Amino acid sequence: MDLLAHLEAYVATADEASFSRAADRLGIAQPLLSRRIKTLEEHFGGSLFDRSRRQIVTTELGLLLLPYARDVLDRAQRLRQVARSARRSRVCAVGVPADCAPAALARALRAGTEHGITLGMRELPPLERASGLADGSLGYALVRDPPEGAAFRVPLGLASAPVPEGSGGGAAERAVHLEELRPRRGRAAGPAAPPPLLLLTEDQVPYFEERLYRAAARAGLPESRIRPAGPAATALAETLAGSALLLCTEPFARQHGAHWRPLADPALHRGYDVSAARGRDSAGAVPGWLATLLASAVDATSARHGGPGAGAGTEDARARLAARG
Amino acid sequence: MPGGTTGASPMSTAHRSPSSAAPAHRPVYVGDDRALLDVAEGIAADWAALGVRGSFLARDLGTGEQLGFDIEEPTPLASVVKVPLALVVLDRIAHGDLDPAHPVTVDPGTSSVGPTGLAAFRYPATVAVGDLLALMLSVSDNAAADALLGLVPVADVDARLRAWGCDGIRMRHRMNHLYECAAGAAGNDFSLALELAVRDEGAGRHTIETLDPAHANAGSATALVGLLERVWCDGIAGPGATAELRRLMGLQVFTQRLASELRTDTLRWSGKTGTFLHLRHEIGVVEAESGERVAIAALTRAGRRAGLAPDIDLAIGVAGREAFEALRK
Repeated sequence: MDLLAHLEAYVATADEASFSRAADRLGIAQPLLSRRIKTLEEHFGGSLFDRSRRQIVTTELGLLLLPYARDVLDRAQRLRQVARSARRSRVCAVGVPADCAPAALARALRAGTEHGITLGMRELPPLERASGLADGSLGYALVRDPPEGAAFRVPLGLASAPVPEGSGGGAAERAVHLEELRPRRGRAAGPAAPPPLLLLTEDQVPYFEERLYRAAARAGLPESRIRPAGPAATALAETLAGSALLLCTEPFARQHGAHWRPLADPALHRGYDVSAARGRDSAGAVPGWLATLLASAVDATSARHGGPGAGAGTEDARARLAARG
Repeated sequence: MPGGTTGASPMSTAHRSPSSAAPAHRPVYVGDDRALLDVAEGIAADWAALGVRGSFLARDLGTGEQLGFDIEEPTPLASVVKVPLALVVLDRIAHGDLDPAHPVTVDPGTSSVGPTGLAAFRYPATVAVGDLLALMLSVSDNAAADALLGLVPVADVDARLRAWGCDGIRMRHRMNHLYECAAGAAGNDFSLALELAVRDEGAGRHTIETLDPAHANAGSATALVGLLERVWCDGIAGPGATAELRRLMGLQVFTQRLASELRTDTLRWSGKTGTFLHLRHEIGVVEAESGERVAIAALTRAGRRAGLAPDIDLAIGVAGREAFEALRK
């Protein structure tokens, strides 16, 4: 027995004091209404209406049960409403990197409300952002991609100890070439080991580590110079103390008072795409406003795609493969 | 964390780093006293810090004292093999089987690949056998070496070394075979060949055949130092041949390795380098004005994917100097 449907028939009949008007109100046929009331009377074990007079009258039992029946119907109605509004206001999780600009994230949250989506920002390491999209725990995410193919690009550079005022001069913004990080020979250099290059969690992405290790090797640096940074605070402390170089973005370095110079090789910069969870809606459909606002949260610029440089193709490739010296 | 592979990030760093890759290698040290062992251990530690493995042996030719590590490990020799090759050719000349003035024409269309000497020539040249030896040892000329192997076949060189009792040194192929195997595996892509070489070092199998000690021109540090000792003490071939080999090894133009820290007017270095992909070798003898003579062999394999690594070359040079000074007392 569909108790709610039967209770509705009972309450409507009591309100209208008429089977036909009650049936009209509920939009059902009168025989169906009568059958439901009969079933309900059998269920409760007593008449709810006195049908002996010209106008039907609610019995004593009928009056006794009426407020309870109304209460059950009210609660069922509220249950449906809550379910509906919960469905409307479900939070769509967005995976973002650590150290996003809070004001820009706030703009994205507000824009979401304007577009009828409740967004929730989740700060996650890059690999978890990608896996979150795959398993559906994230609706959207800023995903790391090689910069030359990505929609957005953030210059990476090296943070180092602050330069005393006036001593750095105009060279402050010059780009860093990895070859410069080789220890200098010929000077009476102390035994101090060359400072390690620290890698934040955001840059512990296989494609990026692969590139960086290769670039460092080609620039004459041993791979042991590159280390995971661990917690950002201690890495920054080592950097500000001058015993390490931290690979990070300019806003991150400036915010903590570190000196910063960009890496000269743009292939080592961060690349981002804003992606949607697979299977949700149509795959890859990211609203334009969201992509733009998320990009501004990581201080990214739209990538200008130029062809790669001519490359070092002039050298005799065959001779390099032969035994030498 | 959901997903099976996402947790790999911190580990992948550790995997790639050569110093922490593979189960930590423990070198087998040799040294005639505690001080010499300490020097050997210091050298191995310096190399490991740069991601370099290999063998090292230095022996005082006067006292016989020595220090080193992993001295028995067979290693592909690259151009270092030109030293035993030169000795066999000089032995033929000394026996009158080969005329040092005999002219050989080397045609770039068919000659061996290489960056120096006749291998870099663009037009045919005719050079005497004696001068092919000079080119082969002074600038490591691959075309000159293979031209000599045209006169004294690979199998004959290997048989002569057997007959001399140079058991740890094998000659199995021409110099150009190094290029052919690398290009065969990687096209003409140097980076890919280097990548394969470094990767295979950990895996124990060799995509590039000439990096497999079982198929390459190979030798161990102890066998090479033994050869140098016999050359400098006239204990092999004839005195004419050994004297000429000592003279030619003194003409080498490369100074970035063992010579780098042994360059003074009071020291004389005679050596031969070997470089191929991730291999950086040198063998030679340092002779002091004061009379000490130390034979050194440094055979290295780098875990770094770089064609040029002057810090590794310098570390080899520093090792040579420290060994020389420790043995000299």
